[in-house]
Amino acid sequence: MKVEIIDLKQRFKDEEIQILKCIKRVLKKGNLILTSEVLNFEQSICKYTGLKYCLGLNSGTDALLMSLWSLGIKRGDEVITSPISFIASVSSIIHVGAKPVFVDIGKDLNMNSDLIEEAITNKTKAIMPVHWTGRICDMNKICKIAKKYNLKVIEDSAQAMGAFYKKKHAGTFGDISAFSTHPLKNLNGLGDGGFITTNKKNLYNKIKLYRNHGLKGRDNVEIIGVNSRLDSLNAEVLNYRLKKLNNVINKRQKNINLYKKLIKTTKVNIISENSDKKNANVMFIALCEERDELQKYLKKFNVQALVYYKNPLYSHKATRYLNINRKNFPIANSLVKKVLAFPHHQHLKRNEIEFVCKKINNFYKK
Amino acid sequence: MKIPFNYLRFQFFNTRPYFKEWKKLIKSSEFTLGSYVEKFEKKFANYIGAKHCISTNNGTDALILSLKAANIKKGDEVITVCNSFYATTGAIVECGARPVFVDCDNRFQINVSQIEKAITSKTKAILPVHWAGASPDMYKIIKISKKYNLKVIEDACMGIGAKIKGKSPGTFGDVNAFSMHPLKSLNVMGDGGMIATNNDKIADWLKKYRNHGMINRNNIDIWGVNTRLQPLQAIVAMIELKKVNKIIKKRNQNAKILDRALSKIKQIEIPLRSKDYKETFALYMAKFKRRNQLKNFLLKNKIEVKIHYPKPLHLQKPSRLIGYKKNDFPYAENQAKELLTLPVHQYLSRDQLNFMIKKIKYFYAN
Repeated sequence: MKVEIIDLKQRFKDEEIQILKCIKRVLKKGNLILTSEVLNFEQSICKYTGLKYCLGLNSGTDALLMSLWSLGIKRGDEVITSPISFIASVSSIIHVGAKPVFVDIGKDLNMNSDLIEEAITNKTKAIMPVHWTGRICDMNKICKIAKKYNLKVIEDSAQAMGAFYKKKHAGTFGDISAFSTHPLKNLNGLGDGGFITTNKKNLYNKIKLYRNHGLKGRDNVEIIGVNSRLDSLNAEVLNYRLKKLNNVINKRQKNINLYKKLIKTTKVNIISENSDKKNANVMFIALCEERDELQKYLKKFNVQALVYYKNPLYSHKATRYLNINRKNFPIANSLVKKVLAFPHHQHLKRNEIEFVCKKINNFYKK
Repeated sequence: MKIPFNYLRFQFFNTRPYFKEWKKLIKSSEFTLGSYVEKFEKKFANYIGAKHCISTNNGTDALILSLKAANIKKGDEVITVCNSFYATTGAIVECGARPVFVDCDNRFQINVSQIEKAITSKTKAILPVHWAGASPDMYKIIKISKKYNLKVIEDACMGIGAKIKGKSPGTFGDVNAFSMHPLKSLNVMGDGGMIATNNDKIADWLKKYRNHGMINRNNIDIWGVNTRLQPLQAIVAMIELKKVNKIIKKRNQNAKILDRALSKIKQIEIPLRSKDYKETFALYMAKFKRRNQLKNFLLKNKIEVKIHYPKPLHLQKPSRLIGYKKNDFPYAENQAKELLTLPVHQYLSRDQLNFMIKKIKYFYAN
């Protein structure tokens, strides 16, 4: 039985008629850049998250970059962030000229908020927590620290669309938040896409200019900007898919619950959820003993399980110039050897999960 | 009779050929880069006659990445023309360099005879623009660049399909940028960009930089960004590339009809045409006396004309902040007051062209 980590083909098959309708609707109008579809999507996101402002951009990476830029983070500044994330979290900090300062993670794979205060120096300007795999960080504590030291907070919510903490959506805690609608996210377009959300009008105004060449009207440039606009075809697809987001997340949660029930080994540690938090379930990562062997074993049975990621962000060739001492991150170093993502998408059938769990159990019985 | 400027509704009226190909893409789930994008890059390289072509999310990013690939950075000066779209200058500033403007000539192109005067010890590159789908004398520009050891980055955003003595724009400079924005001669259904270079090292760097600096899924080499052509758009571009020569031919026919009629009116100055330059007529521009009255008159008659642009780059707010002022470039300033862009696209009928000519004649006769 072939079980893949994500099934975009099935998603399209289910939605084919609707999606082609979306695209036709846009094409009929003859206007393709920053159209009403983008505005509708931005407004729908505001409604869903309860935030005041949203701007559609070309990618989650650009959303991070512009969030940092809008807050005035620049050369010489330090930004505290997590070493366990996708590359864009740290490259965005480096691209605005600032220095990333990592703190170790906790058992939930998110930044350990108890370690933040000791990482603060007189150059620290911001904290950038990453809601890794769709699980919200300890935002109450992080915001408290930020307030105490007068720091900005940028939420990397690239994986957190649909994640809540005490009924508050990801992105409502910090100054500004960056989201991604990349095909592998649970609210996904047919290519790259992203957006920012904020309650601050001045940040919204700045990014609104910056994403479209700094243009005010058609003929006047206010600031030197770039081109980073959410694609109109994708915006309309996202409008349609946003309505189904809750179903997607709930189905994925059910699948995870089934995994919990069926995995009968203590060698696979499924990260427990705090009842205050609703996970967006973008990925289902468990901590596994003998991870590499398990991965190979599952592959033999056509079960796709992937490692997100083998390397913490401080151990890439491109970060060497920062001279970071790996020993400062014992938890991150040990957990990257255990992380493994299992298939849990909304199109999985019960017997497929049963099959995966059976194979996992068999592997450890040997 | 209505004469629209925007023709996208007509171009994408029949969605069948796109949907047919898209279905294949969706079945393959290659939503970020992948074989469709690669295939189009090769076809494009073949079309313009360059060794390497690397796609980006948009033309602006293509410019920024081209400048970065040419190692333009803080403290450098880049010579460019003061009549272009904002992104040309925006890209220079985005790299930290200072734009140094020169005036344009009676073909709306950079005035090549003024380039040498603008060179200082800080000058690192010349960024000529193939404005409106016509071209400056690239052979002369390359000669100057060799004499002073400068890089050349061509802004060929409007130049896909044009020729200079048989050679394509974007094949003269070191690393060159194109746009496939909806209103270009080769267009997609949203944003799209391309870079061309003959330099293997630069091509290699660009391929990494546009995709997070990744060499594979788990390792990065440099800190990159996310600017990728959407595979959906790569498919559109592949379909449109087959038609581009035909489109340009039709536009040239339309332009010839307009040229012939309008050159008889003494209040109109048609830019010099030359057999050495094949134009794409991305825009059909000419200088018209009493421009603003004419514009209102034509708009009232439902002829959708535009101005590209009423304010030259050196008089935009961010340029004034670095010291540029009125009367710096008299030719461009005068042009900005008199130029008007007429519809010339491939969906115009002979009747529509005649109607437009009749109305312009009527305006000047009264």
